[in-house]
Amino acid sequence: MAVLSDSERAVATAEFIRDNRSTFAAVTKGDIRAALNALDDFLDTNATTINNAIPQPARGQLTQQQKARLLVFVVQQRYLNS
Amino acid sequence: MATVRQLLAPEEAQFLATAFPQFVKNNGTNFPVSGLAYDATTDEAAFWKLKAINYGSGNLTLTIFWYADTASSANVVWEAQIAAITPDTDTQDVETDGLATLNFVQDTHLGTTGQRVHTCAITISNLDSIAANDLVFLRIARDANGTSATDDMAGDAILLLAELSYSDT
Repeated sequence: MAVLSDSERAVATAEFIRDNRSTFAAVTKGDIRAALNALDDFLDTNATTINNAIPQPARGQLTQQQKARLLVFVVQQRYLNS
Repeated sequence: MATVRQLLAPEEAQFLATAFPQFVKNNGTNFPVSGLAYDATTDEAAFWKLKAINYGSGNLTLTIFWYADTASSANVVWEAQIAAITPDTDTQDVETDGLATLNFVQDTHLGTTGQRVHTCAITISNLDSIAANDLVFLRIARDANGTSATDDMAGDAILLLAELSYSDT
């Protein structure tokens, strides 16, 4: 899967800014877009590595969407639910 | 010679069907803070209707009081434009009338405290042939996509109050 398109990244940036309720401090809109681009690039580059970190049989039997949701749950549990 | 001042509250604003700032009332520690929350990435606009009481001549000055919802740095760009109609003289259909070319100002967040109140002024020089006691429609927008100047402030810019002032001579 390729990286998100320019317009998809713009929409994602806008949604993130709109949904955020805590302070952005000195971070600008451009800074947030750069961070989103970098994370998207990182996921694109490391998708195979992340997939290989999932043990069998889950790696082979879960769908791409299921594994993506699993990743979201782990990130959420680690960084958002505390 | 005197300066006429008209205050424009967020509570009096009107909106088109889309792309408008949300009316917000944040319950502060000691008093409620109401305003119009202009989005950071989509241009949004609000409108006021007023009478150009005793307008004399010259440009209009629109002073905006605003604060940042979540940011503590960067720039926000405010735009203003008017449509002026002289009753019984102008034959233009009010529902299809156009706005004069916009004027804008870029204001910089002064830092230190995110939700501190800022003020800035737009000189409205595109006057649409305004005359004394005209009916005036005023549009105030945030140039979130940075068409007129760089607007790089993340998060909403909340308009607390606006003041339109002009000379009566």
